[in-house]
Amino acid sequence: MEGELLTVIIVVATALAFDFTNGFHDTANVVATSISTRAMAPRIAVGYAAVLNFAGAFISLEVAATVASDVVDPGSITLLVVFGGLVGAIAWNLITWYFGLPSSSSHALIGGIVGAMLVAQGPDSIFFGEGIVGKVMIPALVAPTLAFLVGGISILVLYRIVGRLRPGPVTGGFRGGQIVSGGLLALAHGTNDAQKTMGVIALALVAYGSLPAGDPTPPFWVIFSAALAIALGTYAGGWRIIKTMGSRIHKMDSAQGFAAQGAGAAVILASSHGGFPLSTTHTISGAVIGSGAAKRLSAVRWGVAGNIVTAWVLTLPAAAGIGALTYGVTRIFGTGAGGPVIVSVLILAGSAFLFTKRAQQSVSGPAASEA
Amino acid sequence: MSFASIVDWDALLTVVWASVAAGVGVTAAYGLVILGATRAVDLGRAGRSGEALLFGVVGALAIVAVFAAIVFGIVVLSE
Repeated sequence: MEGELLTVIIVVATALAFDFTNGFHDTANVVATSISTRAMAPRIAVGYAAVLNFAGAFISLEVAATVASDVVDPGSITLLVVFGGLVGAIAWNLITWYFGLPSSSSHALIGGIVGAMLVAQGPDSIFFGEGIVGKVMIPALVAPTLAFLVGGISILVLYRIVGRLRPGPVTGGFRGGQIVSGGLLALAHGTNDAQKTMGVIALALVAYGSLPAGDPTPPFWVIFSAALAIALGTYAGGWRIIKTMGSRIHKMDSAQGFAAQGAGAAVILASSHGGFPLSTTHTISGAVIGSGAAKRLSAVRWGVAGNIVTAWVLTLPAAAGIGALTYGVTRIFGTGAGGPVIVSVLILAGSAFLFTKRAQQSVSGPAASEA
Repeated sequence: MSFASIVDWDALLTVVWASVAAGVGVTAAYGLVILGATRAVDLGRAGRSGEALLFGVVGALAIVAVFAAIVFGIVVLSE
C-alpha cells in the first residue's frame, strides 16, 4: 500500500506538471491576439490570462466527467496507465514546443491515455465509439470549423457596422473590447483545459481506490491544484508560440483580434458546457484564420496554417505511441513505484536538455544574425 | 453501432447554435457600441444633438446587451 501511495503521488505530481506545460504551451495562443494588435503589453496580457485561467477552472466539471468516465473504462484503469498517458502527453508537448509548432495538449493527453490503456488492457477497455469518436474526434473537427465560420461572419458583420467610421476611435474601441474578449478566451481556456487534468487525476484516484469508478467526481483539492498549475504555467509563458500564433498566421487589426477572440471563447465555452474536451489551440487557430480569411484570403499565410494542420493530425497517434512506449518501459520495473520514479527522472532530464538547448539558441540567434 | 448513434447530436447542435449566437451576437453588439459612441461624439460636435442622443442611446443599450450576454453565459455554464 505504501508503494501504491508513492505511485499515486508521482502520478498526481506528473498530472499537475502536465497541467503546467499545458498552460505554458497553450495559453500563448490565448494572449497572442491581444499582443499582436497591441491591445495589451505582453507581460500584462500573460498575467491577466493566468488569473482568468485560474478562475475558469472553477466554472464547470462537465469536461472532467467526460475524461474520467467516457474515454477509457475507469473500472480497469491502473496508475501505470495514467502515468504512461501523462508522460506521452508531456513528451509530445515538449517536442512541439521545441520546434515552435502549435499542437493540442488536449489531444496529446487523450492520445497518451488511450495508447497506454491499449497496451495495458487491450481494445475492449477503450470507448472508441461514443467516447473517442463521439466526444473527442467529431468535436475536434467541428470546433475549429465552427470557430473559423463564427470568426469570419463576425468580422464581416463588424466591418459592415463600423466600416465608415473614423479609424482612430474604431481601433481604440476594439483594443478596449479585446480586454474583455481576451479575458473571456482565457476563462474559456481554463474551463476546458484544467478540467482535463482534473479528469485524469480523478482516474488515478479511481485506480488508487479513493474514488468510486461509477462517480469519479474530482474533489475540491484536485480542482484547486489543477487551476493553480495551469495558471502558473500560463504565467511562465510560451513566447516562441506567441510569435507563431499572433503574427505568422496573418497580420490582424484590432477588430479582427476582437472577432477572433470572441469566436474562440464562444465555441470553447459552449463546448465545455456540452462536456466536449476540445483542443483550445485548434479552436483559437480556426477563429484567427477565419477572421483573416474573411477580410482577404491572401492575408493568411496558408503555409503556416498548413504546418499547424500537420501538427493537429500527428498529435493523437504520436502521443498514443509515446504513451504506449512509456507504459511498456515503466512495466519492465514491475507494478510498483520504481518504474514511475525512473521514467520521471528521465523525462526531467530530457526537459532540462530541451530547455537548455532552446535557451542557448535564443541567446545565440540574434547575435549570429548581427554577425 | 451506427455512426449516427455514437454522436450526441443534440449536444453538438446546441454547441453550434450557441456559439454562433454568442460569437456573432456579442461581436455585433460591441460593434454597435463603437458605432453609437463614435457617431454620438461626431454629431454632438456638429451641433446635431438629437441624432447624437439617439446614437448615444444605441451605444448604451448595446453595451448593456454585451455584458448581460456575458453574465448569462457564465451563469448557464456554471449551473
